[in-house]
Amino acid sequence: MPIHGHYSFPPDLYYDRATHIWVRNDGEVVTIGLDALSLESLGDMAYISLQAVGIRVRRGEPIGTLEAAKMVGDLSAPVSGTIAARNEEVLRDPTHVNRDPYGIGWLLQLTPSDWARESTELVHGDGLTAWVEAEMERYRSQGWID
Amino acid sequence: MTDHSTWRLITDEDVSASFGLAADECLAQWVGQGGSSSTLRLYTYRSHCALVGRFQNLENEIYRDYCEAHGIALNRRPTGGGAIIMGADQLGVALTIPGRGDDSYSHARERMAQFSQGIVNALQSLGVRANFRRKNDIEVNGRKIVGLGIYRAHSQTRPESAFSVSSALQRTGLLFHASLLVGLDIPLMLRVLKTPFEKISDKEIATVADRVTTVRREIGREIELSEARARIAEGYAAAFGVSLLPGDFTADERRAIAALERSKYLTAEWVSQTTAVPDALGSAKVKTPGGLLDIRATLAGNILKAVFIGGDFFAAEAAIADLESSLRWHSADPDAVAATLAHACAGRADDLTALPLDALVTAVQQAIRRARLAESAARADPYGCFVNPV
Repeated sequence: MPIHGHYSFPPDLYYDRATHIWVRNDGEVVTIGLDALSLESLGDMAYISLQAVGIRVRRGEPIGTLEAAKMVGDLSAPVSGTIAARNEEVLRDPTHVNRDPYGIGWLLQLTPSDWARESTELVHGDGLTAWVEAEMERYRSQGWID
Repeated sequence: MTDHSTWRLITDEDVSASFGLAADECLAQWVGQGGSSSTLRLYTYRSHCALVGRFQNLENEIYRDYCEAHGIALNRRPTGGGAIIMGADQLGVALTIPGRGDDSYSHARERMAQFSQGIVNALQSLGVRANFRRKNDIEVNGRKIVGLGIYRAHSQTRPESAFSVSSALQRTGLLFHASLLVGLDIPLMLRVLKTPFEKISDKEIATVADRVTTVRREIGREIELSEARARIAEGYAAAFGVSLLPGDFTADERRAIAALERSKYLTAEWVSQTTAVPDALGSAKVKTPGGLLDIRATLAGNILKAVFIGGDFFAAEAAIADLESSLRWHSADPDAVAATLAHACAGRADDLTALPLDALVTAVQQAIRRARLAESAARADPYGCFVNPV
């Protein structure tokens, strides 16, 4: 797993540039969560709500809402599809997201409807390192990380 | 709609809780999708209403029976934070601006400092030495005078539109919410909002008065809300370098607001919704050479929502309020708590000579541990966050 400082970005994942949501292709479904820089920006998670299983969403549409350190915001679908599963454990204890964002802190699983096309709009593979480094520089320049 | 150097200024009075909140959310959506121009809204709610934060459990925060008996409307904000009362003496501030294409949460935080500057400018023009305090408060000498919140709204897709994927990502609007305490009826607040206090006497009222303040108190004279509103408008024009053009909601916006009221803010499903994360409460009492230290902590998950520091030791109340503020919406991690208290106490060393830092850290950490252990009990016998206007 590439480590950039103490922020990790597993290379097998896809990343949404706009929202810092990660996506893992698990075959029939994709699993999504929040990446390390996103969590650094948000701080500790206080509450999470997620759309119900069976709801169809398009890329960019809300799939849930979170509150961390008083900032409230909608979570956006990184790809279009139907919600296949919610992580009920993070709903009960949102701190899992901070503790293990790529593991037990996953948020939702979607059955994607246009993965072949939409996955090309996510960061993955060769472009990952350059994107992470640029994002970290941007975060540093704003004083969001050391 | 694309002239970003001019904002619409809407001033409305005496609005219902459902209209006030629906209007803010609706504008954020419409501004995000380009259907409305950036808008600064300065308004008051009909006296009085009680508004909980996005994820709070209303029953934990509000004396529902009292409110229903006294015609105090209850509702839920789209923004986070604690429960508040709003009425003719509390100015609501709602700024709605478009999100950017690369609209990560960090940009919203960046804007928060700028957003708060508009209010700080206004207060300073009145002679009030106010400061923005992370994460989302504006304070005067440790006393909270404004609460702030951000909501990043997704715009609803218009059925007739065929937005591309890239444009869909840009259809977000940012809503910055604030409540400015021009005046505050503290006894009423204590009857409406749940606090650790078992009674309402002069002592409890004084304790709250040591932690919150108002414009009238700070400037030592009566001030009409209209004057405060005018100063706020000037403050924003200066902070963002924009012109403000007085206006009103359009007919289309009013229809959309009414629809959002009906579908959301007038429904029990929204107002009385509960979260899977319960508040957890813990307390600790520690004897120190300077007197008894009585700590009460409220947790949500690993977030320390509020800490009350009481007891019979001697310390400047403003300094105690400062310590409490430093831990509001703070990580409950023991080391992080210790570091923050050490930093806050160092800045108030002259006011806290009778309060040993190690005893304070021990007591707060003990209260947090007990809160974690008492989580299930908290579900059965909850009370809300202590004095947390927004």
